[in-house]
Amino acid sequence: MTTSVNNNSGGDQPQGSGNAQLARRRFLQKLGLMGAVAASYTLLEVQAKTAASSDKRWGLFIDTSKCSSGCDACVRGCNEEHGIDAGKDEHTRAQWIRKIDLTDNLTGAESSVPVMCQHCDSAPCVDVCPTGASFKRADGVVLVNKHTCIGCRYCMMACPYKARSFIHENLTDQKPSAPRGKGTVESCTLCVHRIDSDQNQQPACAVSCTDEAHSAIVFGDLNDPDSDISKKLKTVGGSQIRADLSLNTGVRYHGL
Amino acid sequence: MSLRLNLALLILPAALLLVMPGYADDNGPVIPPATYGDQCVADTDIMRKEHMSLLNHQRDETVIEGIRGEPFSLVSCVNCHAQNDNGGQPIRIDAKGQFCESCHTYAAVKIDCFTCHAALPEENAVIGSLQNNLPVASTYSNKQLLVMQSHKVAHKASHDYQRK
Ligand code: HEC
Ligand code: HEC
Ligand code: HEC
Repeated sequence: MTTSVNNNSGGDQPQGSGNAQLARRRFLQKLGLMGAVAASYTLLEVQAKTAASSDKRWGLFIDTSKCSSGCDACVRGCNEEHGIDAGKDEHTRAQWIRKIDLTDNLTGAESSVPVMCQHCDSAPCVDVCPTGASFKRADGVVLVNKHTCIGCRYCMMACPYKARSFIHENLTDQKPSAPRGKGTVESCTLCVHRIDSDQNQQPACAVSCTDEAHSAIVFGDLNDPDSDISKKLKTVGGSQIRADLSLNTGVRYHGL
Repeated sequence: MSLRLNLALLILPAALLLVMPGYADDNGPVIPPATYGDQCVADTDIMRKEHMSLLNHQRDETVIEGIRGEPFSLVSCVNCHAQNDNGGQPIRIDAKGQFCESCHTYAAVKIDCFTCHAALPEENAVIGSLQNNLPVASTYSNKQLLVMQSHKVAHKASHDYQRK
């Protein structure tokens, strides 16, 4: 039904020194495991910096049977976390998550799903970006580096999920953890600022969904067979939106 | 001969003072003191000269590699260096006469960082983050600074590569 989620080709990782360093770090970590105490001086330095690693691939599992049509808790949670003003003009405001209501033409069956950046393994937005600002992190999170984004919006056109927004106006009162500004494109970051600093943190949308007692969004490591998300996918299954595009998305839906 | 030289030595500085009227009382920019901490995240000398490259380096490390809690985080600069007004409310660090602005206006530098980044400190993290995970100069060795210098070269190379 779906392509493997486990292979993370990592074709667009930062070049050169980054990879070499990653390899060096991993090697040193292994040394550490083998009990090479002599290397502890270097290890300290290494442990102080935990970089995103291709050992992991972060993803979301969305159980559509638990997601209800009237509820937008995930959207509100996301807006709150990133200081997104939902009251702005609906044509130009930023939307990191959209709640979509679907009706099956044949059966009349209705479902409601949140759609955000699908964190594709082969991301079209990354392919078309002229500056390299649209990129995929080693752990599969697709991001915009707003420092190098020139606001050309090619990525917005390339994205099959309409997941990205352009900021048209000057913003004020941004959150310290979520810098955002005029002239750049943005989209769901899987809350990297939360998940990087603490392995037990969940993206804001998943937290809000759980707080609302729906628990329709499960976040976790697709590469780890013992993670909640992998177990869910293994037992109940999950499909990709537009699986025909073979993008190997990091966001999977159950019951679509 | 020597009299002429002495005269010249006297006249030259005097003439300089005449043609550069502001020079005599220019003591540099008035930079507000840090609100928190006894020392900066690296030696003050290094910070004055190198903060832009340290910030750029940190920027790439955090955004591209996902490395967090590092000393040269822009959020941390604001946490320590943003001042409070008389009512105890924080003032934007890029406001007139404030930390980043005072020095930059003097040096005719303009930065766009605070069109996106918060110019006010984090609400309650200031003291906490300082005590828990902000490495300061003493833990930030010269060796690490050297490593950063070499990264700087590597980063530049990779940026040049991307532009092609
Ligand atoms: C167009 C918006 C934008 C502008 C302008 C901008 N940044 Fe950023 N910056 C971001 C985003 C988005 C992040 C990622 C935040 C995250 O992942 O937590 C970031 C992250 C960073 C980080 C790592 C996080 C931290 O707080 O340490 C640094 C350092 C940084 N930027 C420095 C700068 C500097 C210096 C400038 C000005 C020369 C600047 N940025 C201008 C959007 C911007
Ligand atoms: C722990 C709190 C703290 C943090 C975090 C911090 N600073 Fe500082 N900084 C200080 C203190 C205290 C001084 C004054 C040191 C002295 O008097 O020698 C200082 C001095 C400086 C100076 C020299 C100012 C002068 O008067 O010449 C610069 C420039 C500077 N900091 C930039 C930064 C930047 C950029 C960052 C973020 C990367 C930063 N600081 C983060 C506390 C901090
Ligand atoms: C002690 C004076 C001083 C202070 C304080 C200071 N800066 Fe600077 N900054 C400079 C000078 C001088 C330059 C220009 C250096 C050059 O062009 O070689 C500069 C340049 C920069 C640049 C690079 C600008 C560019 O166009 O390349 C950035 C980014 C920057 N500063 C950020 C900050 C931030 C953020 C703060 C406040 C936390 C700050 N600076 C505080 C003196 C200062």
